[in-house]
Amino acid sequence: MTSDERGLLKDAAGGDAGALEALMSRYGSRVYRLAYGITRSSADAEEIAQDVFLQLVRKGAEFEGRAAVASWIYRVTTNVALNKRRGKRREVETSLEDCLPAFEADGHRSGPRAFLVADWSARPDAELLSGEMRRVLEEAIGVLPEHYRAVLILRDVEELSNEEVAASVGDSVSAVKTRLHRARMALREILTRRLGGEGGNPARVPS
Amino acid sequence: MMTCRDVIDVLADYLEQALTPEIAADLERHLAGCEPCRAYLATYRRTRALGAQAARLEMPDEMKARLRQFLLERVR
Repeated sequence: MTSDERGLLKDAAGGDAGALEALMSRYGSRVYRLAYGITRSSADAEEIAQDVFLQLVRKGAEFEGRAAVASWIYRVTTNVALNKRRGKRREVETSLEDCLPAFEADGHRSGPRAFLVADWSARPDAELLSGEMRRVLEEAIGVLPEHYRAVLILRDVEELSNEEVAASVGDSVSAVKTRLHRARMALREILTRRLGGEGGNPARVPS
Repeated sequence: MMTCRDVIDVLADYLEQALTPEIAADLERHLAGCEPCRAYLATYRRTRALGAQAARLEMPDEMKARLRQFLLERVR
């Protein structure tokens, strides 16, 4: 542990506002985006952040290093958020299956040619991350089971390794890799259904 | 020879450069002759980036203020 980190945790436990501030600026958004990503509720994410930070400050002295603090935060936030979601699970597994690529017996992807070759990847962020497409993307993320969203955020936003994600979510590396791949495939499918249905040569907007 | 299904199965490992050189070379040979798989790879990669950008949120300032207050009331 850097002496800095140890000192911060100790001072925060003693009620030092500056130390709390420093911990919050270091970890606040990481907790929030993971909690929000799993629950898709700002109110739930706020309660989870309160719970996680209170535990962090109370445990303070027990951590052995900054890496230990970060992995503890990811693990506890994931657990608390998944627990909060328990019982609220909707019928998502079947709709996810509908969003995975379909194949012919010979291993070729099935579907109309225009859909199979639709490549919207060069469209600019301004188009894909705002307005109607932003809404489509958010809805698509909402379709994923919460375990998949946890993995997607830990891997693609926080950029943890597959092994670190597995430790955070309490699952095997192979389960993590499967969920991550299925999550990305489902999002890709939903986006392509929206963007690729404009004939075989979708308009490219220069960035 | 890899099929489209084989290629899509290992795309995540391909992007992480976690495939053996032999499998990666097979995959690239398939891509060279398969427009649907090239489109799939390009849009899969773009989807990964978009998902990350959409989820890269910051805790709102008002929430930070409430969290600070919440903690101060409990640790002092």
